[in-house]
Amino acid sequence: MPRRTRPRTQDQRRQRHKDVLHDRGGHRANDFRCVGCRLDVSVDAPGTAHRNHCPQCLASLHVDRRIPGDRASECRGRMEALAVFTRPDGEWMIVHQCLSCTELSSNRIAGDDNAIALMRLALRPLQDTDRASRTLINL
Amino acid sequence: MSTTSNTLKIHTFTCAWCGLTATKSTSDGALRNHCPSCLHSQHVADHVEGGPSECEGRMSPIAIAVLRTGDWMLIHRCVRCDELTSNPVCGDDNQLILMRMAVRPLAQPPFPLEALGSL
Repeated sequence: MPRRTRPRTQDQRRQRHKDVLHDRGGHRANDFRCVGCRLDVSVDAPGTAHRNHCPQCLASLHVDRRIPGDRASECRGRMEALAVFTRPDGEWMIVHQCLSCTELSSNRIAGDDNAIALMRLALRPLQDTDRASRTLINL
Repeated sequence: MSTTSNTLKIHTFTCAWCGLTATKSTSDGALRNHCPSCLHSQHVADHVEGGPSECEGRMSPIAIAVLRTGDWMLIHRCVRCDELTSNPVCGDDNQLILMRMAVRPLAQPPFPLEALGSL
């Protein structure tokens, strides 16, 4: 937005208020821009109806409090993917942790989530070979 | 006699899932909040608003998270109210269940892993 350097004169017409497209529920109302990689993300995702994270870097925003979708949190912190787990039916879920208040939340992966980022997340416990091999030896 | 039973209650807890009586502190002095045998816990602290929780539901272990230091954290989810908590893994925790949780996603990948090999 350009900065207004000189005061508005009388003959200048005020900008008309447009509530057609940008109001809630209008044009791309629920789309968001990722806080991590600035990718413009549409909420229409293959495989899920509740997309809440960026498909590229898996980052999310802390907007919900207890119930998913309630938008009642005042934190607005950045949430980073912490771990991956599988539901009993085999679906992968991502656990997010808020970087400003350490709150945790989980969300199902979408069909267009970055496979390499998901794989890196799933392999993270095995990455430290020392810790993993100690666990295997202690079995 | 009453002193003995009180002492037992203060220093131990009974697992809500497998019934094992476990000590509240580990041998290396760290505080324990989950059963070392089945890794289940109990929902006693409210992490959204802070303070004690009135849920008291059983919390089952669902995932392993890794800190930047390389330490493993155990993520629990309450089976009653679906709240998530994370706690550090203790030294005498059941390694079989820990390892099973760590490799569980790799057993059911949502995409073919062969494609990643050609990258």
